[in-house]
Amino acid sequence: MEVDREDGRTQNQLRPLACSRNVLHRAHGSASWYQGDTKVLAAVYGPKAGTRKNENPEKACIEVIWKPKTGQTGKLEKEYEMILKRTLQSICILTVNPNTTTSIIIQVVNEDGALLPCAINAACVALVDAGIPMKHLAVAICCCVAKSGYVILDPTKLEEQKMKSFAYLVFPNSVHSVLTGGSVQGEPMEHGIITSVTHGIMSVDDYFYCLERGRAASAKLSDFLRRSLQQHPTDSSKAG
Amino acid sequence: MEEKQSGSPASLIDSTVVPGDVVLDLSSMTNQTIKLGGGLRQDCDAISVMKAGTLRFSKPNKYWVESSQKRYTPCVEDAVLGIVVDSKADNFLIDIKGPVLAFLPVLAFEGGTRRNIPKFEVGTLLYLRVVKANFGMNPELSCTDASGKAAEFGPLKDGYMFETSTGLSRKLLSSPTCPVLEALGKKLSFEIAAGLNGRVWVNAATPDTIVVVANAIMNSESLSGAQQIIMVEHLLKNIQ
Repeated sequence: MEVDREDGRTQNQLRPLACSRNVLHRAHGSASWYQGDTKVLAAVYGPKAGTRKNENPEKACIEVIWKPKTGQTGKLEKEYEMILKRTLQSICILTVNPNTTTSIIIQVVNEDGALLPCAINAACVALVDAGIPMKHLAVAICCCVAKSGYVILDPTKLEEQKMKSFAYLVFPNSVHSVLTGGSVQGEPMEHGIITSVTHGIMSVDDYFYCLERGRAASAKLSDFLRRSLQQHPTDSSKAG
Repeated sequence: MEEKQSGSPASLIDSTVVPGDVVLDLSSMTNQTIKLGGGLRQDCDAISVMKAGTLRFSKPNKYWVESSQKRYTPCVEDAVLGIVVDSKADNFLIDIKGPVLAFLPVLAFEGGTRRNIPKFEVGTLLYLRVVKANFGMNPELSCTDASGKAAEFGPLKDGYMFETSTGLSRKLLSSPTCPVLEALGKKLSFEIAAGLNGRVWVNAATPDTIVVVANAIMNSESLSGAQQIIMVEHLLKNIQ
């Protein structure tokens, strides 16, 4: 079904991606991730000694601070911090450096739709840049469901507001493996899902369709991520 | 979205790997001892990558991931530059840019007894050797070599200390001598102490020389051997 999107993209087309590592001088790891006009900067400090009060001292602790473009931090920022913290806790190996804290600071430079997926991607690259041990990487994507039932990927802010509902989905990246058929209980690892956040009302079928479209696009994002990590830290990588 | 399957581990060696890539399948290698270095972990029968970098192999059986970070992971027998943060009854607390502070026992000096404990102020720069680096414990350092002699370890007076990445400090300490140090050594006279934790100390007769040497080293991070020599010649031309 042909769908008219304002910027001329097709249903499954993502906006131009750009990613740079090591952009900040003082941070131990940093990355910037641009998806069209949505721009996010992530900085990682750590691991540093000591955990916060109620955290388990036998594991590393991850602390996320979200700084919006304008205004003070409120409930929405606290929600984003919590979602990011849970996502990153599941991809980092927390037992390597017990009783330490890693701080991740997300600064929103510009907001134009799909903000949380952009931040998750930026945080993942910043963690790799800082050398924090991880089980695998995460790629995040936003899928919207319109009133007439079609699904579009990577919406702009206007599209997000017009849609009936949308979902932020985070998948593990595709791995290069020497194992033949490396899989967990018969399914390849990319069929897993790390995080799913939905807004609005959508039917179960719509949700599964979103998952399918998102998973297909996550392969492209995964390739882009691998290419940008292969380059030297001071170069930036772009995909149109 | 399929995993790229390579027929043998040799195809991933010397290529860039990202967290999650499986580099070895142990089920096909029975009765062999494999030594794993930094950046790799064992996941039942598969060896997978924790940190992004270049996979290296050294005969007969050592695998590791080479990467360059701003923070340091303490390893035994490394020479590091530490800064005194605090002193207790039995130990000095030293910052070596690792996840936790390291301890330097007050008796770990050549001819050290309870009567001649050195007094280091907070902020003193020391050249030290890592003696113990066990999981979950603070690393232990020493100001003597393995046989108990002082061997250049101890406080570094005067001079200038700057921070680099761990990759650059490994290059500075490699043999044959790094091109930038050789080119500088032909024209200038200076003293240098490089720690594997990303700290370098330079001392020379005049501040001009110290600044030129420090700038040359900091600029040489992303340059090849020939480019480093050209850069050093350019810098030296401007001061003479």
